[in-house]
Amino acid sequence: MEISSKKKEAYFTATQMQLVSTRFFSNRSARIAGSVLLFMIIVSVFSGFLSPYDPTIAGRDKEYENGSPQMPMFWDENGFSLRPFIHTKTKYRGADTNFRWVYKIDTEKRRYVQFFVKGWKYKYFAYSINLPGKNLDFRIPGFTFDRHLFGVDTGGIHLFGTDKAGKDLFGRTLSAIYISLAVGTLGVFISFVLSLIIGGIGGYYGGWIDGVCQMFTDAVRTIPPVPLFMCLSAFAPDTWSSELRFFFIASLLGFISWPTLARRVRTHLLTERSQEYILAAQLCGASSTHIIIRHLLPSFTSYIIVDLVISFPYMLLSETALSFIGLGLREPVNSLGVLLQNATKADVLLNYQWYFLPVLFLIILILSFVFVGDGLRDAADPHKNK
Amino acid sequence: MINFIQFTLTRAILAIITLLIVSLIVFSLMELVPGTCAERYLAFKNTQGSNINVEDIKAEERRLGLDRPFPVRFGTWLKNIIVDRDFGDSCILRVSINELLKDRFYMSLAICITALLFSYLIAIPVGIISATTKYASLDNVLKFISYLGIALPNFLIALCIMLFMTIYYGDTMTGLFSEEFQRAPWSAARVRDFLSRVWLPIFVLGWNATAFALQTVRALILDENDKLYVMAARARGISGMKLLWRYPAKHSLGPVINSLGFDLNRIFSALPVVALILILTEAGALLIEALARSNDQQLAGAIIFLLTATIIFVNFVTDVLLAIMDPRIRKGVMGGN
Repeated sequence: MEISSKKKEAYFTATQMQLVSTRFFSNRSARIAGSVLLFMIIVSVFSGFLSPYDPTIAGRDKEYENGSPQMPMFWDENGFSLRPFIHTKTKYRGADTNFRWVYKIDTEKRRYVQFFVKGWKYKYFAYSINLPGKNLDFRIPGFTFDRHLFGVDTGGIHLFGTDKAGKDLFGRTLSAIYISLAVGTLGVFISFVLSLIIGGIGGYYGGWIDGVCQMFTDAVRTIPPVPLFMCLSAFAPDTWSSELRFFFIASLLGFISWPTLARRVRTHLLTERSQEYILAAQLCGASSTHIIIRHLLPSFTSYIIVDLVISFPYMLLSETALSFIGLGLREPVNSLGVLLQNATKADVLLNYQWYFLPVLFLIILILSFVFVGDGLRDAADPHKNK
Repeated sequence: MINFIQFTLTRAILAIITLLIVSLIVFSLMELVPGTCAERYLAFKNTQGSNINVEDIKAEERRLGLDRPFPVRFGTWLKNIIVDRDFGDSCILRVSINELLKDRFYMSLAICITALLFSYLIAIPVGIISATTKYASLDNVLKFISYLGIALPNFLIALCIMLFMTIYYGDTMTGLFSEEFQRAPWSAARVRDFLSRVWLPIFVLGWNATAFALQTVRALILDENDKLYVMAARARGISGMKLLWRYPAKHSLGPVINSLGFDLNRIFSALPVVALILILTEAGALLIEALARSNDQQLAGAIIFLLTATIIFVNFVTDVLLAIMDPRIRKGVMGGN
């Protein structure tokens, strides 16, 4: 009795945020997806620390091209070792392999995994923006580290194998997740602001203002985005640096994908603005801004949240599709789309299946985003009193 | 009634204005692509062995009317499309675009619209089941399957199905026709052959759209289901399917209809990539050919214009439908009472 009344007390005095988070965490699929997502974000942020090799061409392993994944193990036929190790693989080609390069596993030569080793240098908070014009260039040195979680003293350790050039796929996958998330975040932010402004104004005022906004929204949204991307990215010259290209692609994603949300915001506002509580607020003399922020925005928060989180994987997929055609981000930059492009060749499908590991991460990332979005939607719904 | 006609007319005029804006955007994009049509054609001729100099390019530009100012060129381009339904000649191939597209565009349209219907045919019942079921596990499984539709890029699915087909049937199932019907005139056998292959692109395109549609339907039904008017209806003793169809399902129909145009847009957007993988011989493949490979701006512009015009038409129809169906909007349209 004592406990339940305390619980009730807690429920009635809880803030909106507390209620939402309680409801969100009581949803099992959302909880799992949320932790997966958090894990991915953390891993991608610390990709420099976690990956033993530079994901760019500088970190290529010339002795191990198109190499299969090497998983550390604790025992083999020669016995058990507390420290995980991998076997040495040597390049070999001869008449018996039809003169193709193959890797021979030498189980006698163990290479032990070492922890907190020094390796390639990675930076945080280091930016060098290279805009046209000398005065606009600026450079922040940031912090440089060279410690890595694990490594081996001789040769290489490639958890996910290597690609055609000998680049470590593990490191590439981690940094690709980071880049893809960054592109998506920037794109979602731009599209969010644009859709709220344009959809909100049109839906709230109605009449000819709505007509103009609607016309503009319609015009942008009716053009199929991928062909539009294709046109616009054909416009970007090849001489652009990869950073500039990154920002260009991210802003394209944002500037093209806002109309979905804007149209939904408008439709909702159109039906909502004729409700009594809006009339009441207007009769009380509330200003338009006040009504929009205090009454109308909360009435469709669930919509906005769902659409934002839903549009995030869509951003990732747009980027993937673009890079897949070869018009998005390009090779020196790692993104999930770039890695996916490498994976979709018949040769790869038959011989080098580990190229698909990044694709697996893309799928997991998108799935977890969608589940989190769904959980948030259910949790933020004020009509659901449980 | 007069109000309604007025509303329809206004919407029609708005649609036409949208079309004008879009055509301006498309035409400007065609201009933005580095290089002009004349340069591209002569560069192509250069690779074929003929010697080209600046004079030739100038002459070719004059012939194509590229030396005239932008508004004039835009006007001519638009006039030719609307009055004569003529998209001009392709930059590289030097054939009439009408000739090049012919029934390919309608084929793409048929594939996309079928994919759209397919997706809603699955999404509406499954979405309602997912929203109203008592069993959380069923809801979760249904959700998971639909989410897989979002998470798996459709070109990946296409690729996997193709690989599967090659291994187990010995036929890749790519293209829209098998070899003997590739250039044959339309006949019953060709239609049958077409139908035996076209399900793959429809499935791949629809699979992705289904996931989005399912989410929309589910979210809407859940939103409506908890509202007071539904509770009131329940209190009056209406229950089960009757309650569902008369109240929440009916109300969620509005936003669903509203999003039809955009769903079609999404399918159009996925079309080129899927076409690239499945080696389809329709407009989507032609578009990717025009944009990514040969930079044929005239052809690309024509295809984007056609796709966009279709979506504008669908949006117009859904707007009018919505005004007829949703009493809340109908009131707003036809005045106070």
